[in-house]
Amino acid sequence: MFETLFGMVKEEWRIHSSLFGNFLFASFPLIILAFSFLLSFYTLNNIITLNKLLLIYHCIFILVGLSVGAFGILGREAMNRRFGHASLIAFSSRTLPLSEKFIFLNFFIKDLIYYFILWILPFVAGAYIAFTIKNVYVNFFVIIASIFMSFLASLSFSFFLSTIYIYSKKLVIAVIFSIILLSKYVFHYIEMLPSISFMLKPSLENLIYSLLISCLLSLTSVNLLKVDYAENKKRYKNMVISLEKFLRFSRYKDFIAKDFIDLNRSEGGLAKLIFSLILPTILIWFILSLNFIPFADFLIVFAIMLGAISSSTYNWITEFDVFSSYSFLPIKVSSIIKSKIATYSIINSLCFIILFIASIKAGLSNLIPSLMAFASVSSYVLAMNIYLTGLHPNILLYNSKILIQYLLLTSPILLILMFSSKSILFYFFVLAVLAIAYLIIKKSLEKWDKEEIVF
Amino acid sequence: MIDIVISANNLTKKFGNFIAVNNLSLEIKKGELFGLLGPNGSGKTTTIKMMTGQLKPTSGSVDVLGVDAIAQPIRVREIVGIIPEQESPPSFLTAEEYLHFVAKIRKLDNIEEKCDYWFDFLEFEDQRQILCKDLSRGTRQKLMFAQAFLHEPKLAFIDEPLINLDPIIQRKVKDYLLGYVKKGGTIFFSTHVLEIAEEICTQIAIIDKGKLLYQGRIKDLKKKRQTLENFFLKLVKE
Ligand SMILES: Nc1ncnc2c1ncn2[C@@H]1O[C@H](COP(=O)(O)OP(=O)(O)OP(=O)(O)O)[C@@H](O)[C@H]1O
Ligand SMILES: [Mg+2]
Repeated sequence: MFETLFGMVKEEWRIHSSLFGNFLFASFPLIILAFSFLLSFYTLNNIITLNKLLLIYHCIFILVGLSVGAFGILGREAMNRRFGHASLIAFSSRTLPLSEKFIFLNFFIKDLIYYFILWILPFVAGAYIAFTIKNVYVNFFVIIASIFMSFLASLSFSFFLSTIYIYSKKLVIAVIFSIILLSKYVFHYIEMLPSISFMLKPSLENLIYSLLISCLLSLTSVNLLKVDYAENKKRYKNMVISLEKFLRFSRYKDFIAKDFIDLNRSEGGLAKLIFSLILPTILIWFILSLNFIPFADFLIVFAIMLGAISSSTYNWITEFDVFSSYSFLPIKVSSIIKSKIATYSIINSLCFIILFIASIKAGLSNLIPSLMAFASVSSYVLAMNIYLTGLHPNILLYNSKILIQYLLLTSPILLILMFSSKSILFYFFVLAVLAIAYLIIKKSLEKWDKEEIVF
Repeated sequence: MIDIVISANNLTKKFGNFIAVNNLSLEIKKGELFGLLGPNGSGKTTTIKMMTGQLKPTSGSVDVLGVDAIAQPIRVREIVGIIPEQESPPSFLTAEEYLHFVAKIRKLDNIEEKCDYWFDFLEFEDQRQILCKDLSRGTRQKLMFAQAFLHEPKLAFIDEPLINLDPIIQRKVKDYLLGYVKKGGTIFFSTHVLEIAEEICTQIAIIDKGKLLYQGRIKDLKKKRQTLENFFLKLVKE
């Protein structure tokens, strides 16, 4: 029974380590550790109290859980994305006498192990070291348990919602909108989440509650899950033609049309937007309303964070493309990347609406600077992403060398913008960052044109 | 008038220490149906990729229709047609959308008409609206075939083109290729199916472990009363 699970873990390890080398891949957790150490060391007691910091850490992993938990819609795509078509155990349900549900359950557990070892454990360890050095006492096991359970709970919740989504889109959209509307109250009571109340007051009762809820949600989801392996030969009307008319302002209209068709027809379409953009946005809003950055302007900081999150859309618009499906056509890699930038901009203009709505609550006076902040952060982070990973952001972010570069190159910029948000220098920085982003994108296009096509 | 359509000089490709193609020189004239034969892993695909600007050779040079394939890879791909070894059209387009997409990239006009012709000729009209990823392998190969000839190139590179096609379509495609070279086109194709090579090729080359072992006319082999199979087996075993 455990062979499948074991095989999957090994498989995942081998795929990543063969891509980046054992060393680089294995050092990924160390980077996480260093990152959380630095973050905790510098913020604790200077900027923020222990309880608030811990709460934020929980929220971070709730965020991660929400965004990776959308298995239900992604279904086999989730497996596909990380394994590629050659896969492997996940697809063996076709050839081996194993049920799909069993395989999926294993996949789910494997992901838990994977995230625990690669993300949660090093993150908590880094924070713990920082706390110890600062003579702040916390119980390591309680923290790691509560963070893991928060992650598990949000993962299961997101998994559950996304599974239900397949059955009734309307229901899920309604649920999400009511969460948005009630967000104020929901977050007010976030301490009632069993995993967080476990951290505040460790008790067996809270532990059991928390695990029980997560198990219930995820087991129900596995049972309801539709992993559609059947060749469904659905017929589709030609959408390229009509979309092209709509997009005729762009030189890359054919490619943009293709991107939207891919997004629309792949499992999940709209839901991807909800799970990777909208839900995290709400959570960020909540974290910020804890008001722990008194020196910065609320709306602008929100816009900066939104810019950083929105860059994740680049990951899913590149998901369906491999260089090799273009390598025999007269088209440069840089043109493909340019078309992706166009698609990215179209999708992310949605964030302008989000910001507009946010500004109604937070004060219209800062709408313009926050829009500018968003535009510059979003382009800058995208530029770095393209420079470092080209068309394969999903896999390459697991390469620790690239991840370090990415973090070092992006986070200072975010901080500078945040810190300057109330000063007049802010406008200067915003424009400078935009200009840098532009230059980097230009450089990346040259870089990727020279690169040999491997994938 | 250029009579030599492909001229490769000392093409070499190394992957790390491994030499996939070793000092290969070939010259191919207009109107040939040229078959590159060799066992699995002998370097056929790598050769085609270098000739079409998809891979940079470690050393050597190659001119295709008078264009330097290393310096101007995109230009080469504009003027030739290529059927890659792995049929991998983007996943969520339908067959029809994919052909349109390629036609747009190649900036063709009369797109509908051209596409209709190929759906009709290769007999997969009924598959037009199916997503590429849901097509059968043979149908996908038909689509890749159509994609390569859509712009009526003077030269086409095809990597194992017939493997998944049924006998009826195979016959059609073979006749198409024969007619195509008669009209002045040139075909460079790789295969390890010797019967096909023997039947349609005007000229062949045999490579093994990246090295060119033989280049010559099928007619000459026939004169010597050699079957291609015997010849191939003897050559490769040595
Ligand atoms: N990107 C790569 N990296 C490393 N080795 C490679 C790469 N591409 C090809 N090779 C190796 O180069 C050799 C030649 O490969 P190639 O695909 O050209 O062979 P082939 O003649 O087309 O074989 P087949 O008949 O199986 O299609 C093989 O040993 C292969 O493993
Ligand atoms: Mg090959």
